[in-house]
Parts: sequence; C-alpha cells; structure tokens
Amino acid sequence: MLRTTTGVLSRLTINETKTTGSAFALEFVRWRRKPRWLPVAKSKLFRVPERKQQNADEKAELMRLHNNYKLQMRSLRQYLREEVLRLNVTTTADHIVLTPEQEEAEFQRCMQENEAWNQKIAVERNERLQRELEEKAVEIRQRLEAARIREEERLERADEVVRREIELSKSFITRDKLDTAIEQALANPVDYNFSLDLKGNIYRGRNTVPGGKGTPTLGGANEIEVQQTLKASN
Amino acid sequence: MPSYELAMVLRQMSRPELVSVLKRTAESILDKGCIIRNLENLGTRALPHKISEHGVVHREGSYFTITFDSAPTKISDFMEEFGRDIDIVRRRIFKIEEPEEFQCTLHEEMLPPAYRKDVQEMIDIAKRKQKPKFKYNSGLDYYPFQK
Repeated sequence: MLRTTTGVLSRLTINETKTTGSAFALEFVRWRRKPRWLPVAKSKLFRVPERKQQNADEKAELMRLHNNYKLQMRSLRQYLREEVLRLNVTTTADHIVLTPEQEEAEFQRCMQENEAWNQKIAVERNERLQRELEEKAVEIRQRLEAARIREEERLERADEVVRREIELSKSFITRDKLDTAIEQALANPVDYNFSLDLKGNIYRGRNTVPGGKGTPTLGGANEIEVQQTLKASN
Repeated sequence: MPSYELAMVLRQMSRPELVSVLKRTAESILDKGCIIRNLENLGTRALPHKISEHGVVHREGSYFTITFDSAPTKISDFMEEFGRDIDIVRRRIFKIEEPEEFQCTLHEEMLPPAYRKDVQEMIDIAKRKQKPKFKYNSGLDYYPFQK
C-alpha cells in the first residue's frame, strides 16, 4: 500500500503541471500520508529536526505580556475569594440568625409537631393493619372451606369410580366364565360401522342396505340414491 | 391399572381352533394378573390386502378385541408373546382413554366470518397491534401542504 501511495504522490507532483491543459488527466488521491501503523522510514530514523531560532526582542515582549496577564488574573481571583469570605461572615441574607434559646424553642416545636403527625399516622396504620388482618382471616377461612369442599368432591368422585367399577366387575371375564364368554362372542359378532346421509340419519352396520333392517324410514327415491352412493363410497 | 384394548386378527380357522386360540390368549393375559373386561368378535372377512405372516400368506381373517386392565410394564411382554403366536396375524395394544367432552358449535362455525367470535377476536388483536398515527388536528381530512 505504501508503495502504491508513494507512486500516486509522486505522480501527482509530476502531473500538476500536466493536467492544467487537459480535462482528461484527472487523478484522485485518497491517501495523502502513509498509514499510522507504519514505522518511521529508514532514511528518516536518525534525523534530528533543526530548532527554529526566535527573535530575541519578540521573545522578551511575549514574556512581558504573559507575566502581566498572569499577575492580573491572580490578583483578581484573590480579591474575589476574600470578598466571598467577608460576605459569608457578615450578612444574614440566606439564613436567619437565632439565639440558642430561640433555637431550642424552635426545635421543641418541630418535635411536637412531628410527634403529632406520628401519632395520627400510627392510628391510621393500626386501623389499616387491623382491617387487613380481618380480611386475611376471612380469606384464609374461605380458602380452607374451598379446600374442604374440593377434597369432599374428590372423594365423592373416587367413590363414584369405585362404585362403578364394582358394578362393572360383575361382567368381568374370570377364568370360570372364559368359555362361556368366548362362546358368546363367537355367537354374537359386533359391528361398529355406520354411515350417515345428508339429513344426519345413521345407518348402523357394515352391510346395511337402504330400506333393510335397521334403516330409518325414508320418503322419496332421491334420498335412497344418496344412501346408495354413500354405501358405495364405504 | 390403566385399561388397554388388544385388537388382533386371527388366521382363518375352524371354530374349535378359534376357541382354543382365544382361550390361550385370554389365559396368558389372566396369568399375568390382569383383569379382562370384555371380549368382542368383530366378524370374519377378507383382509384388506394379502398378509404374509409367520411364513404363510393370509387372505382372510377373524377380528377380535380384548379389553383388559394391566400394568403398563407388561404391555411389551404381551406384544412379544402374541408376536410369537403363529395363529395371530396382526396384533396391536391401544390405551383406552376417557372420551373428551365437547359441545357442538357447528351453528357458530357456519356463520359468516364477520359474525364469528374468533374472527372478531383476531380483528381486535390486529387493531391493537397497529401503530398510533400522528394527527395534525387541522380539522381537515387531508394534509393541506405539499408533502
């Protein structure tokens, strides 16, 4: 990058005279200096810049002006500081000066007022705390009652389940009943299939034909066709 | 104990064989300390497709369900045991759950969209999400200056 930059710089200096006549030879220079992270060039490493000589008269004049300015500013600041101190001691503009007795009386008055306030607030607070306590007690009682009712309902539901199961247990298939149950099942096949028509009629059975056994009564040939299509789709 | 339902398809057999297979299956369930609630026969008919099971091709089958209560840990044992039975073509155990209670809301769902409650809620949500627009308070319904 440095190499290209220097190239650009050198070209710029050369082209300055060149470009004056021509509108084509525009060159844009983005980097006028080498980047910050590059070290000092080797050729400039041991160069000591020469100190500029100052005019002795001018130096003396600048020194005189500087001294004058410093002196005046110092005296002004000292004056202002002393004035503030003096005012603080003498004036009573920003505070009331009281005798010790008056101060004591004022303090007592403030204390009494504070006590009165405190008592008033304490009464209010006690009332509020009492009220909150009662509310809390009511709420706790309500929750206990609700819990009791919930528990009773739960027990009732459990009892209901147990009763139902005991009732059902008569139909459970034990080892003794197994043979009869198998015979019964083989003799009575169950069919959960059914179909619906557009009126919401239910046709139970896998092979139920319209107008056959278990069919709802119907009117009109149109609906029978609908059923037939439904059957066909099943 | 949770309730389960064993749905199985038995191969085509004569009646005494069918009875013995059912008895074997039910007794293996009872032997594990389970309770059989019900035994149902769903009929004998052609299978939906030919099924090759235990090296035999089946085209007809008898459908049975056995409802029973059992410990959940024994279900995989049952599946394994019935999988070895050469008379059982297909077997699957389902858990029986309480049917959910629901109410028919078809009348509300058939209303035009603007009258449906869920659509109205959605419109409200969309209104709430809109950014507040700046009002000029100029008394005009248009912006009087060039924009």
